[in-house]
Amino acid sequence: MPSVQAGYAPNLGVFLKALKTQQLEASIEHLISLLKRRQIRNSRPCAIATAHLLLRVVARFKWTDIGKLLQRIQEVGQRLVEAQPKEMVVGNIVRRVLGMIRDEAKEDRSEDMSDTASITQIDSPQRETSDPAPLRTIGVSTATASPLRFGASNAPGSTDTDSDDGSARTPQGGHRPPLMTSHTSYAVLNGLPVQQSMFNLLSATPSPLSTPPQQIDSPQAGSGINAASVAQRVAASSKDLKAEVISGIEEIIDELDQVDDQMAGYAQEHIHSNEVILTHSSSTSVQKFLLKAAEKRKFTVIVAESYPNDHQATHAAVTGSVAPDLGSSEDTSLEMFLKPLTAAGITVVLTTDAAIFAIMSRVNKVILATHAVIANGGLIAAAGARIIAKAAKVHKIPVIVVSGVYKLSPEYPFEFESLIEYGDPGRIVKYHDGNLVDNLEIDNPLYDYVPPDLVDLYITNLGAHAPSYLYRIVADHYKPEDINFHKPELQF
Amino acid sequence: ATPEAPKKEDKTVELFRHLYKPRVTSIAGAGKDVHPAVLALGLQMSSYTICGSCARLVATLQAFKKVIESYATPPGNTLTRHLTSHVLSPQIEYLAACRPLSISMGNAIRWLKLEISKVDIDVPDAEAKKGLCDAIDVFIRERVTFADQVIASSAVEKIKDGDVILTYAKSSVIQRTLMTAHQEGRKFRVIVVDSRPLHEGKHLAAALVGIGIEVKYCLINGLSHNIQDATKVLLGAHAMMSNGRLFSRIGTALVAMEANEADKPVLVLCETIKFTERVALDSIVHNEIAPADELVIPGGPLEKWGDVKKLQLCNLMYDVTPAEYIQMIVTESGNVPPTSVPVLHRLGNESQG
Repeated sequence: MPSVQAGYAPNLGVFLKALKTQQLEASIEHLISLLKRRQIRNSRPCAIATAHLLLRVVARFKWTDIGKLLQRIQEVGQRLVEAQPKEMVVGNIVRRVLGMIRDEAKEDRSEDMSDTASITQIDSPQRETSDPAPLRTIGVSTATASPLRFGASNAPGSTDTDSDDGSARTPQGGHRPPLMTSHTSYAVLNGLPVQQSMFNLLSATPSPLSTPPQQIDSPQAGSGINAASVAQRVAASSKDLKAEVISGIEEIIDELDQVDDQMAGYAQEHIHSNEVILTHSSSTSVQKFLLKAAEKRKFTVIVAESYPNDHQATHAAVTGSVAPDLGSSEDTSLEMFLKPLTAAGITVVLTTDAAIFAIMSRVNKVILATHAVIANGGLIAAAGARIIAKAAKVHKIPVIVVSGVYKLSPEYPFEFESLIEYGDPGRIVKYHDGNLVDNLEIDNPLYDYVPPDLVDLYITNLGAHAPSYLYRIVADHYKPEDINFHKPELQF
Repeated sequence: ATPEAPKKEDKTVELFRHLYKPRVTSIAGAGKDVHPAVLALGLQMSSYTICGSCARLVATLQAFKKVIESYATPPGNTLTRHLTSHVLSPQIEYLAACRPLSISMGNAIRWLKLEISKVDIDVPDAEAKKGLCDAIDVFIRERVTFADQVIASSAVEKIKDGDVILTYAKSSVIQRTLMTAHQEGRKFRVIVVDSRPLHEGKHLAAALVGIGIEVKYCLINGLSHNIQDATKVLLGAHAMMSNGRLFSRIGTALVAMEANEADKPVLVLCETIKFTERVALDSIVHNEIAPADELVIPGGPLEKWGDVKKLQLCNLMYDVTPAEYIQMIVTESGNVPPTSVPVLHRLGNESQG
């Protein structure tokens, strides 16, 4: 009996619990089947489940090198995306994790690189000691190019740089390094790799130039120490890297937790008192947003019920009850019960989707929730959102979309119909209506594509943006090489 | 002191406060003057058994025929002076209490009153009554039955082979048009868009499927997906306003808007009896508010909505479609653009005398 096995209603909560005990491969299969059977659906639960699973993948991964880890995550991500390609957040989270790993790896590598850079720098004077003239010019230019080490290069050993230094030091009083002292240093600075000079700026190690005599004395010893330290560092950093990747994923999970509250923080900037706001369907993000605004302002909310797919959730949200069939699957330990807007002193008017045009002329703002946002600034939202946005456009009413950045997908399909999922026609015509069911073609789309020109403003956890700016946020969050990670044929 | 019952919260939506009217849903409290035929009709109207604008018009006139047939002028009175004020008025009031009168009903009642006032005082009762009943029959035939035939045959001309006709909710004249077109052997598909709470489109879809037309059925949330497939949009009307706007079942404006955006021609099929000299700019000044409880789904979370403070349900019946979304109005007097509505209306009234 399912009722005896309490908690085995397959949903996000159960999955997260099972994740702690299950084998990794079993967990992956578990999530895939939950996604396929739509037992985890909607953006947030999918995102949370994906992030937790990837956390386990990283934690269990036997560390060899970054490439293998990336490959492993790509492979898991690909399977998840294939399980439910229309939940675009799954792909987004995988991309975020991949990008984060790449960032960490790059940081790590750049540390290594700067190590090797210092080695070459040490090497170069060694090689050039045979000819003193080039050494001198390099010494001059490097000393002037790294002003912070000015004092160090001013050490007794570096008297050979006095001609340039003297002219620079006198006006500055010896403490402030000159910005650009001479044309020669400018030219040579351009010739040097920027990373190297940046590293020199910040490094506390004694300058190789300040100690050329010692280097000449023991050239082999110096490089040997460096090589050993590099090897040591690589070994240490791979362990650090793993910890950092894990903490990075945990940060993403935290972000998923906080995203609604962050967006709600902007609420009072966008809602004035006595406003009439139209919203559609039910969404935790929008509800939190409006609740936050209700702390300071009195306004009216008109809710379109989004029949036939989300009306129960909408009705439950406005009455403050838990919808019978959604109560178990939507409710997770992470998501607390939200009080209805009416409890916050807001007048809520529930109406049918058909009445939107009739009342739009008295609406001040339309606030829409999303399922996914795509890079061109368009969005995928509950079916009916498009006619609402269009009716708002016709009446010149601003349309605001409240969406966490995690819903923002870098994918940009040419055929928007491919993003639309179709639902159970039995919700429109009941199966006992035999004659109709047999002869009628019934269409029940779950989602609508709303083009960017119908949206005036996006509010994400990063702030408010114009739809045309979203591509920039996409670029900030995803690495270009990860965009098509789930399509091996598009990878080069 | 007895504990006071908690004051019932006012559930009227502020914006539509002027539209709320208590609705009679039983014969309890009906005036004794109300004729049984009208009593029955009132209940049928309030339960949407008789729903469409034209159906209500015809049913009302038929009921009034019965009222007139059973009428006898009291001694010392004349039919002309007595019938309208003392007999018809209570009937009309009762009907209006059951459900606000449609604009076509208003037009017909105005015509009937005029007819009664034209009856010569010297004409004997029986003859006058017969004359009125005949006039009602002619009126129904001319303004509704024949008008529908003319509209249907003229609209069928607009349906070509391979067309995909999108229509919203249910209109008897559209049903007739589509059925005629099918019988004439035209090959076309129909998309029926529908909405809560009346689901009238389902009846249309069932009727069309019954005679073998290929029908796709969706609710208004699927509108933007299906509008692309359509080649023409046919809409029914509750009334045509003098400023060319269409007053029709709630949701019609959305369909017309989407059709306009997708560049699909919008044809309104409307008898001239539905034309009115009234104008409308929005759907709020003049409209009909249906009881909010009709939105409650049995067993759903809304059942206890009355206990939730500050929660209101809004169940509008009609909306106003801007004239620029309408390409053509098909009437029994010809096909006209929305700008010609006031002209046709005047012509119709003048011909009535």
